[in-house]
Amino acid sequence: MGGMVEDRHPLLDLSEPQSVGSYLRDVWRRREFAVVVPAQDLRALNMDTVLGQLWHLVNPAMMIGVYFLIFGVVLDTRRGVDNFLGFLVVGVAMFHLTQRVMQDAGVAIPRNHSLIRSMQFPRILIPLSTVNGQTLAFVPALVLVLITLLATGERPALRWVLFVVVLAGQFSFNVGAALISARIGAAVRDFNQLLPHVFRLLFYVSGVIFSVDVFVTSPAWRRAFALNPVYDLVTCARWCLMGHPADAFVLAGFIAWAVVLPVAGFVVFRRADHLFGR
Amino acid sequence: MTGSSAIVSLEDVHVFYRVYEDASVGLKGLFARGRVQRRYRTVRAVQGVTYDFHSGETVGLIGPNGSGKSTLLAAMTGLLPLESGRVMARSRPTLLGVTAALRPALSGRRNIMIGGLALGFSRAEVSERTGAIIDFSGLSDAIDRPMRTYSSGMRARLGFAIATAWRPEVLLIDEVLAVGDQEFQERSRERIDEIRAESGLVVLVTHNMAEITSTCGRVIWLDKGLIRMQGEPDRVTSAYMSAISTR
Repeated sequence: MGGMVEDRHPLLDLSEPQSVGSYLRDVWRRREFAVVVPAQDLRALNMDTVLGQLWHLVNPAMMIGVYFLIFGVVLDTRRGVDNFLGFLVVGVAMFHLTQRVMQDAGVAIPRNHSLIRSMQFPRILIPLSTVNGQTLAFVPALVLVLITLLATGERPALRWVLFVVVLAGQFSFNVGAALISARIGAAVRDFNQLLPHVFRLLFYVSGVIFSVDVFVTSPAWRRAFALNPVYDLVTCARWCLMGHPADAFVLAGFIAWAVVLPVAGFVVFRRADHLFGR
Repeated sequence: MTGSSAIVSLEDVHVFYRVYEDASVGLKGLFARGRVQRRYRTVRAVQGVTYDFHSGETVGLIGPNGSGKSTLLAAMTGLLPLESGRVMARSRPTLLGVTAALRPALSGRRNIMIGGLALGFSRAEVSERTGAIIDFSGLSDAIDRPMRTYSSGMRARLGFAIATAWRPEVLLIDEVLAVGDQEFQERSRERIDEIRAESGLVVLVTHNMAEITSTCGRVIWLDKGLIRMQGEPDRVTSAYMSAISTR
């Protein structure tokens, strides 16, 4: 092509990577996509069932019911915790949100392959949609958790307001986790087979169903636990809602994860953004 | 090269795929060295295509299955990572692939919103055009039914209506027009002419030679990822037809 021609009709090079600024502007311009589409997908999920949209409420209710039956009635274990049912429900609900986000994000890129192959948009919208969808689905569970806490004798305190900050921190952490999970899941399909086992392990080492404070007494080990983001998350949530102890290490760990992970996730994901069409 | 009004320019475009081989490896293969490499195969879908598309044109892409037509079309949107070469364009081409974004469980109306958002328009912009999209698709009776109850023709009509609602400057069509009924084919041809008249570009992949000669001003014959021939529709299609009949 002659130089004169290019001057008259400046063509843009579609194979050239986008700058970070224009990428983020593109994401912002299409933010509605990442909210409307997962919301519609949630609607579609239970469309053919008898209870329909009620399942979004019935599902977490049944989860709480099962835990009540097993730990409240059958085993009657307190494990050194007052209001063990409340303790359990807070931990399990928060844990499941992060687990679902990461597992969903791990398969998000392969599942949307034909969409990626046929439409131009910042690929980051796919894992972001995953986070938004799971967060929306979490709202009924959250309401039930609060009801359970009130029903088991917890009383609202000023600390409950801080729980909103914990939720925001979890959202931020989830965004980062989803981006990393989506990136790895797209490159190595084996990752999605591995992930449930990682979360099963995390379930037992994050104090979701037992109080780490009761079992782990060495200060050095407690500090090591603070490196685990899920432990930090459930501990901070229980501090806000139930007044359980949370030390400075846990708080620092929670904040650090919530700030660092989305930035790291963005860098990791964007590096492969142009490769997802393959 | 007559690049005076090039709207999309392909410069020595190569597109390779790496695909997993589905062959059974066996115990012996499992322990053999270098087995990881052997599980992959590189498909050279497009291997060196250079072409200038001009504004105000409708170009047909023909060729046997696996000749790289659809891959070339996807590469023109800049969506596919290129092995080498460059794709230059005045504005980013729209691939008529909006159906990939649509959700079978949801109604046609909700899918218009999803498709419009996927194309990069705001909720307000989509709401504004929803009526016109429904009218053009001719699906007003079925628009609140789940999309999975639609026939393939109805789905294609809705997809075409959404993708062309904002009159993209460059529209790439991968074999859909033949699905609709006679009346819809007529209407979609009119819309294609409209886009071309506004000095846009329409590129369509098809196996329907009658469609090529009635719609296209130029034809490219792709064979094994390379341009075998290009030019007047009659000349290229007849050469193509005689090539496949003697094979």
